[in-house]
Amino acid sequence: MDVEALVSLVLTVLIPLYVTSFLLYAVRVVKGPTIPDRVLAIDSLGYDLAAFMVVLSILVRSPLMVVSGLTLALWIYALDIYIAKYLEAREMGG
Amino acid sequence: MIDLVLVVAGLVLIVIGVFYDFIGAIGLLRLPNFYTRLHAATAGAIGGAVVPMIGAALVALGAEYLGPPRFFLAGAAFTSSILLMILAQAGSHALARAAYISGEAQREPILYDALREEGGG
Repeated sequence: MDVEALVSLVLTVLIPLYVTSFLLYAVRVVKGPTIPDRVLAIDSLGYDLAAFMVVLSILVRSPLMVVSGLTLALWIYALDIYIAKYLEAREMGG
Repeated sequence: MIDLVLVVAGLVLIVIGVFYDFIGAIGLLRLPNFYTRLHAATAGAIGGAVVPMIGAALVALGAEYLGPPRFFLAGAAFTSSILLMILAQAGSHALARAAYISGEAQREPILYDALREEGGG
């Protein structure tokens, strides 16, 4: 079993697992009673989407998606900080 | 030989990451309130995002068939995993602090609120 087939096999098996956990996070985003719950779910959803992009970029053999994965992770962190700032001081700064 | 070791190690890390991701998702659904869900979310964020990125970087380094662009992939994956390790914690902490101070998140199933005792609430 050469390396290429091994990697492609394992990664294609993992994709449905990734997608189910995204759906579970999406359920918490919709259901979350309060704002922090929703932001927390979007947090984990965004971070795991970034990881999924990195893993997927191995499967499709092109390093283009990794940069957007990194950017997505940074933006999700910014979302966290903005929401925290808004919740605490009712202003977003700037 | 070293390539096979790298690829296998990376794949193991990715599988562990998917497992953490799944557990984090289930934890986020089943835990009663926001403060308990913080644990599931950060476990899902670190175990489910940082670990697979390091694994993907190892796989990218070991997979010869990807050709020269694989080093960009490995570098970017390592960078974003280290960044994510720092940012996920800081963001969740800021969110938890804001939720506590603004009282937005319900604290009902709680045994002992240390912060209120010290008057920090």
